[in-house]
Parts: sequence; structure tokens; C-alpha cells
Amino acid sequence: MAVSTTTRHDDELLDPEFLNKLDQLSLISRKIFAGKMRGERISKRRGESVEFADYRNYVVGDDLRFLDWNIFARLDSLFLKLFLEEEDLHVSVLLDVSKSMDWGNPNKGLYARRIAAAVAYIGLVNFDRVSLYAYSNGLQYELPGVRGRRLMFKVVDFLKRLPYEGPSNLAAAGRQFAFRHPQSGIVILLSDFFEKGGYEDGLRYLLGRNYDLYTVQLLSPEEIEPTLLGDLMLTDIEDDDTAEVTVSRPLLNRYKHNLQAYCSQLREFCTRRGINYLFSSTEVPFDQIIMSYFRKRGLIK
Amino acid sequence: MNFLNPTAIAIAAGLTIPPLVALYFLKLKRSVQLIPSTLLWKRTVEDLQVNSPFQRLRRSLLLLLQLLVLILAAIALGKPMLDMADPHESTIIILIDQSASMGVLEDDGQTRLDTAKQQAKLRIDDMDDDARAMVIAFCDRATVISSFDSDKSALKHKIDSIEQTHSTSSLGEAMSLAEAYAQTSIIGGSEAGRDIAPKSAAPPASVFIFTDGRIADASQVALQSFDLDEDRDTIQVTNIGRRDDNVGILAMQARRNYERPEILEVTATIRNFGLKAATFDAVLYVDGQNVDVQTVRLAPGGGNASEPTRTAAEPPDGSLTVVVFDHIEFEGGGIVEVVLHIDDSLSADNRAWTIIREPRHARVLLVTPGNLFLENALQSMPLELTTISAPEYERAEDKRILHGKRSAFDVVILDRHSTARLPRGNYFFWGAVPEIQGVTAGKTIDDQVIFNWDDTHPILRHVATETIFVYQWFQLSLPPETVPIIDGETTPVLAYFTRDASQFLISAFSLLAEDDAGNAMMNTFWPTSVDFVVFVQNSVQYLAGNVAVLGRRGISPGEPVSLPIPQDLTHTRVIRPDGVDDRVPVAGHPTIHYARTRIVGTYRVEPGEPGRNQFAVNLFDSTESQVAPTSTLTLGTQQIQAKTGTLNVNQPAWRHFVIAMLVLLLIEWIVYNRRVFV
Repeated sequence: MAVSTTTRHDDELLDPEFLNKLDQLSLISRKIFAGKMRGERISKRRGESVEFADYRNYVVGDDLRFLDWNIFARLDSLFLKLFLEEEDLHVSVLLDVSKSMDWGNPNKGLYARRIAAAVAYIGLVNFDRVSLYAYSNGLQYELPGVRGRRLMFKVVDFLKRLPYEGPSNLAAAGRQFAFRHPQSGIVILLSDFFEKGGYEDGLRYLLGRNYDLYTVQLLSPEEIEPTLLGDLMLTDIEDDDTAEVTVSRPLLNRYKHNLQAYCSQLREFCTRRGINYLFSSTEVPFDQIIMSYFRKRGLIK
Repeated sequence: MNFLNPTAIAIAAGLTIPPLVALYFLKLKRSVQLIPSTLLWKRTVEDLQVNSPFQRLRRSLLLLLQLLVLILAAIALGKPMLDMADPHESTIIILIDQSASMGVLEDDGQTRLDTAKQQAKLRIDDMDDDARAMVIAFCDRATVISSFDSDKSALKHKIDSIEQTHSTSSLGEAMSLAEAYAQTSIIGGSEAGRDIAPKSAAPPASVFIFTDGRIADASQVALQSFDLDEDRDTIQVTNIGRRDDNVGILAMQARRNYERPEILEVTATIRNFGLKAATFDAVLYVDGQNVDVQTVRLAPGGGNASEPTRTAAEPPDGSLTVVVFDHIEFEGGGIVEVVLHIDDSLSADNRAWTIIREPRHARVLLVTPGNLFLENALQSMPLELTTISAPEYERAEDKRILHGKRSAFDVVILDRHSTARLPRGNYFFWGAVPEIQGVTAGKTIDDQVIFNWDDTHPILRHVATETIFVYQWFQLSLPPETVPIIDGETTPVLAYFTRDASQFLISAFSLLAEDDAGNAMMNTFWPTSVDFVVFVQNSVQYLAGNVAVLGRRGISPGEPVSLPIPQDLTHTRVIRPDGVDDRVPVAGHPTIHYARTRIVGTYRVEPGEPGRNQFAVNLFDSTESQVAPTSTLTLGTQQIQAKTGTLNVNQPAWRHFVIAMLVLLLIEWIVYNRRVFV
């Protein structure tokens, strides 16, 4: 069932339909990452750009260079000119490439990479600084600081070459990412969140840097509605851990109940800490996630 | 519960269960399934294992169900039997009641006898293979249907051959027969030659009685070798039957009018034994012609079902009636029949027959030296009387007193004259004896009183016997078949017997005696009473056979009959009411004895003596007509609680196991499907 389909996915990642959709996205998402987020950031830091923003009264200690002498001449009072700070917006995508992501139909990994590509594309189009990180047992691959639409091929190439390997360790990955990435920005975390060690630590590391954090939990339909039957030895694809089950209706009901509880727990954890949480089955068309869900959550205007 | 074939269980279980378990464990080599993460599955399994014992059970539910199915199938193969009363009984004696009351048609459309036979056959089926059974059918007599045998099919076949009779039931003979056979079988059986401890001399036989409990002599049954242990059911009674509604004829008489012999009066005594009132028609048939109909209403008869034996108590008011059909003009001879048109449980007592003969004055020969009393009494009756003296009788030519080889007279009364001239006929000796073998007159007795009399005998009907005082009589020594009617202290005073188609009524006293001086004197003052005339009338009618069924119960089912037949026959035939033509060899005797009279109705002898070639057999028995079954049977002093229904019979139980097996299979199928298709 769950055979590795990596090669096929690489081709599919750039299939014409997908590129077409990306183009559509680029048209709609002209104003991506605009709005309140940038506004907030701007109001915090009045900077040294050329773009005028506002006046305020002079107080002792202000840089005399920014006094508006023309107004002093006319009104005989000191006003200070404020300018917008020109600041790069960092859009980081944290992509889970542990073995468990290479599973399901549609494939979770492919789905995640498509979302990553779409987000990166939108970011690139808007001249934001886009960084891609792939993690499994810690950060494994990165493509930091890409800017400009013409570098999209780099992003695609990066995503294409990502292998699935090892178990996922969000805590390690979160810590490494936080170290490396001191500046604030938007962080989109794409994973199935099947973390044997728990997702809480990893998310806490990310929270510590005050990112705008978006978590997307991706599950395949087979995980949501298992189609298993018989007496099985379930083997974990990541660590070869086994669980012996005899599939019965009560067992499946119990599984679904547990899955729901697990997802609710994650959502609860995220919501309490101001993290945007999204659950999605890989059956849902990925552009729908970008277009409607991210927009709803304010990631895209 | 017991198993007839326990080894089959072991073999079947041994052959199937280990492979099943092995297969199940083989199946438990689970197929490996890769999944992205066992995280949730582990949690799920842990969750389910929290309720561990039950869950573990659920996990192997299929195995358990399959094991159960196999076990049930194995048990079914072991021929399980329910309620096996005593698995150790090696000798079984089955007594089946075939009396009239067993002919009751129960609500299930079967007679009680059919049910009894069925249950007896079930009992046979449940025997161990090496056990032996014996079958005895009993009514008024006991018949060994099958001696000890272990061939079940032969036994069952013989049980099937038991016929319904209309006889009364009597258990005593059957029980003694059973006891005798049980002991014989021990001596001659497999234990022969072994040392048997005195205690074990009692037969280890179990007796199964299938009856409705209407057994007249049950309380007189003496059990000798069967001991009724509390802990061992040596004798088990299975109660057959439920119905208690019955109306029966208990007596019937057909009598000609004394003065006008062509006028017939028929009376029938009818009793309702049921718990409900009954209304029905009683129809009189004479020679097959419907002559008279009367509607009879009878109150409930109480149906005392709990009373174990003969109902001595008076029937409740209104449940007993005497129907009288009078002024029936009928001059010929033939069959008079009373039929009750009622749909009750027992039909044998709904009809009664009697045979009447053409009215004819009896021809009576009085041989006497002169007896005023006898002559007067006889002359007052409608008789053709001839009076001669003793020497005349001895000298008389054959043609005068003979008709063929029989006496020309219906009754010959010999007053104080013992003689050897006794052609076939009916003789009444007064103070004398017939000079035939086995009959002698001894010394005169004058110091005794009349001690006992059988006032149910037709001869003493309407005779006040307590008024009889006799001065002297002589000691009578009579053949063993004699029926004493009046007894002195040591010898009979009046007695009756038959021999070679002749009837003899002998009075040991005469009416007149001689005193010491030789003068005639009255031996008794009886002739001066009106009872004497009645007595003479009864005697003449009885001997002449005109007393169709008068007071006497007639012939009961099963009672043997003596019938006169014409001379020089090698065999004769008796045509029974059910149409069976019985060939009876004569063997040179002037009479035949016929005993196959176990069904009611009219029997005809062909060829037979004209006028005496028919006889009727009637039930006339309140014990049999009282059909309500009793729940307790009193044998001697022991009371045995009867088991009703199909109790104490072992039922094969494999069907239950197979049904349970099928149900389990169904459950297994459902469980299996739930697991697979979710």
C-alpha cells in the first residue's frame, strides 16, 4: 500500500496543472503578506527608508537630522519627520520529511511540498525573503534566504530533491530553527505531527522567537478512515516499532476516537498559544487550502 | 444426562479440536502491515487492553465460538440422553395396561394404549445395549408379550402387537408374573453359577408400569421380591391419559312380562363419571331395529380423579339413572341393544347387549314321592309341569324323557331321589345327589346353622335368605368347580355346578324329612313363606336359561364361556363382534370353552345349539368406566406417585445440541462479518 513514490512525486511536483495553479495564485496574491502584519511591524520600528510616514513633536535626544526645518521656519516649532522602515519579511517553511510523510494516497509528502512550493512562490513573487527547511530527526536540508521570482526554480529543485528519511523529531528541529532564525517572520510548519517524542517542545521553541506560526497537520485518508482488516502486525515505517492488532469494529472506533482526541489536543495546544492550526486531509485540493484557508486566517489578503 | 456413546465424544473432540486450535495459532501469525506511525494504534490497543480480560476474550471470540461448536457437535455424536432414570438397570420389566379404560381417545387423537405403547418403546430405546427387557400386557389376565430380550426392534415390534381389550384391569397376576420371570432370569441368566449373596437374591429388575391407574385390585397386590426402596425406584408408574368425561352403561336387563311374555321391558343403569353434566339419547335396538329413544340428562359425576381405586362411594345425586324402555312388543328371540349417543372418551361402555330367547313356557319334570309345597309352587307358575314318581322316572322309556341325546325337559327336579339316569339337561336335586363322579352325600348334619349365603347369586334374588331355617341336611362332597350358594358351617347347603353340558343345582336338604318314627315332617318352614316361591321360580328360570341377563352381570370381557354345541362336530366357529371368525376345536366334548371374549359385543357360535348359540359380552364395570386417571397407585401398602407425561423416559438430546450448534454458528458468522467488513 504505502510504497515509496518519491520519484513519481518529483515529476508531479512540477506538473503543468500545478504550475498553472501557481500562476493563478501569483495573480491573486499580489497583496500577500500585506496588511496588519506589516503595519504592526512598521509602527514598531520607524526606520531609515525614504518613504515618509508621519510627524511627531521633537523631544530631547532625537536625531536632529530628521527635523523638518521647513516647518520650523514657517511655524517656529520643532517637528520630527518619521519614515517607514524598509524591512524584509521572512517567510519560512518547515517541512516534515520523515518517513511517515511518504505515505498515503494522495501522498502526504507530496501534498506538503506542493503547499511549500505554493507558499514560497507567493513569497517570492512579493519579494519576501523565503527560506525552506526540511526536517526529520533535526533540521536536515535548508534553502535559506531566497528572494525574487526568478529563483523559483531553486525552490522547486530543492523540494524535488528532498528525500524521506528517519524519524521525525520536531523538538530538535524547532530548537535548531530557532537558533538559526532569530529574526521574526512567518513560519509555516507542515507535518503529520505523529511525534513519538511529543510536538509540544518543538512548538514551544518556535513560540519563543515570536514568529507568526502557522501549523498545518496533514493526514492521508487512510489514516483518517483506516481500511485495515484481519489480524495484523502493524509496523511503524519510521522506527520499526510494532503493534499487534486484530481489527474489529470496536478497535477501529477506538482508533478514530483516539485520532480525533489527538488532533483536538494539538489544536487546543496551538490555539491557546496563538498558533494558527489547520487540519487537512490530503484529499482536499491543496489550492483550496491556499486560497480559502490561508486567506481566512489572514495569511493571504 | 448421560451418553450412550461416550467414546464418540472423545474421538470427535480429539480429531477436531487440536487442529482447530493449531489452525487458530497459525492464523495468529499476523501479516505485517506498514503504517506511518504506530503512535495512535498503540494507544488504541492500550485503551482496549485496559478492559483486559474481556478484551482478550473478545479477541479470541471466534476461537471460543468455534471450539464451542465443535464441542457441541462432539456431544451430539455421543448420543446424549436426558433424564436417564437409572443407568444401571440391566433388567427392565414393562407392564402395559390394555384394559378397557386404556381405550379412551385422548385429545391428541391417540388412545391411551397408543400413548402407553409409544412411551414403552421410548423406554426400550433408552436401554443400555446389554440390558434386557420383558413386556407384559395386563387386563383381567396378564399376558407375557415378550420374555427377556435385548433386541430393541423385536421388543418394540412386540409392544406394537398389544391389542386393546375391553377387560377390567388386574395388576396382581402381572406383578407375580414379573416377579417370577425376574427371578428365573437371574438363575438362568449370566449370573448363573455365581455365588449370589442373599441380599442380591432380589432381582435387580426395574418395573415400569404404563397405566391410567384404574386398576381394581392394585391395593391387593402383594409385592414379594420387589422391595420399594426409597432411594431406588424399583417400580415406576407412568400415568397415561387426561380425559375424565365418560358416560357408561353399568347394567342392563331385558325381561319379559311375567303374564304377557311378548311384552319386553328393558332397563339400563347409566352413570355419568365426568365433571360436566351430560345430555344424550339412549336408543333401544331390538334385532337391529330402532325401537325406542329416550333423552337422558345426567348431573356431573364428580370424576374423583384422586381416588386411587374402585369407587366405593355413592355417585353424586343425579349422575346415576335407570332408563326403562317398557311395553316393547317382541315375540321372537334376538339381540337387544342399548346405545348411548354421546361423544365421550370411552366408547366401549356406550353400548350394551343382551340376548333374549323366544318366549316359551319351560318344561319341567318333577320327580317326587309327593311334595305338596313343591307341586303347589310349581303349579302356580307358567310352566308345562309333569309330575312322576321316582320308580316311574327310572322305568320311563328313553323317548319319554329324551329329546335326541338331551333331556326332553328344560328342568328336571328330583325330590329326595338320587339317580344315575342323567341325560344331558338341567337338574335340581332336593335332598339327593346325582350319582356321578365326585359327588357324594355324607352323614346327616342337624346341629349346624346356615352360615353364609351369596345373595348376589341370581337364584337368591329377591329371596330373604336370613329367614331360612333348616333342621337337618346331609354332608355334601362336591367337585372343585362347584359354586356354593348357601353354606353351612362345614359344607355347602345349596350348590351349583356344571358338567358335560348339564347343570346341577343341589340342595342338601329336602323340604320334608322323616322323624325317628318314620313320619313325614317339615324339615324347614321356608315353604310357607313367599320367598320360597320366588326361590323356586329363580331356580327354574336360572336352570332353564330364561334369565337372559337378570341381575347377574352377564359375561364380562375376558371371562371364559361354556357353550353347548351339537354332537359330532370336530370344530365349530365363533364369530366375534369385530368380525373375526375363530375356529374352535371341539375335541369330543359336548361343550366348548371359549375365552377370547375380551371385546364387548355379541358373539355367535356356528354351528351351535339352537337358541343358545349367541352370547353378549358387556363391560358393566364402574372401575373401567371411571376413566379419570389417578396420580397415585397403591400397591399393597405402598403408594407410588405416578409420573405424568413423558417423564422417566429418556429423551435423546442430540437435537438440542445441534440446534445450539447452529445458533453458535450463526453468532460466529455475525462476529466474523463484523470483524471483516466493519
